[in-house]
Amino acid sequence: MSNQGIYPKLINLFNLLLTLLFVYTAASKLIHLDTFQTRLERMPYVSSYATLISWSVPFLELVISGLLWFPKYRLLALYSSLVLLGVFTSYIIIILTYSDSVPCTCGGIISTLGWRDHILFNTAFMLMSLLGIIWSNKHYNIQAHQKTT
Amino acid sequence: MKSKFLKLVLPAFAILLAVGLAFATDEKPVVQQAHYLHPINGWQTVNVEDACFTGSNMACKYDIYQLYAEESESSQALYKN
Repeated sequence: MSNQGIYPKLINLFNLLLTLLFVYTAASKLIHLDTFQTRLERMPYVSSYATLISWSVPFLELVISGLLWFPKYRLLALYSSLVLLGVFTSYIIIILTYSDSVPCTCGGIISTLGWRDHILFNTAFMLMSLLGIIWSNKHYNIQAHQKTT
Repeated sequence: MKSKFLKLVLPAFAILLAVGLAFATDEKPVVQQAHYLHPINGWQTVNVEDACFTGSNMACKYDIYQLYAEESESSQALYKN
């Protein structure tokens, strides 16, 4: 019983941290949108989509951080944050493995992290999203089971 | 009361804190000039971040061209961490 009680609190904590991350990085990117776009233009594989990415990534981050606080859309937001962080982390790993260029499009103070630290940082937030998804599903299943019995 | 806190106050606090932090930690990157040798147009000058003058791990490039501190391939090749 006590374990069931702690899951919603942890989900709220993860929501709070994910919101802080997404709003912070989105705001940092939007403050220096031109710099963000210029950096994207110099990056391998994505340079042709620099304008699209420079607007869509902060927009997506803000939408996800908003949806995290609506119970109806929370699961969708957690899946979206997992995918967004997953795509970005995979891209960093691919670039560091196969390309000579240095990827650097992260926002704010996070850009001062080394790449190994950055991957660890992203992995921690991906883990939070994943646990949020698992526990939200569990919570939903328990509620559904209680309603049917 | 608790529900209102979770639904309204907590997200509003998180958003305000994040936006505040974004402005508080906003650092304008120090820009310096770097140079690369274009095979047709010769030496070209571009602006790069200060980090390219302090690192040692990864080559700073413009497109596919290695960046140098001066207009000479014998000058310092630029790297960042």
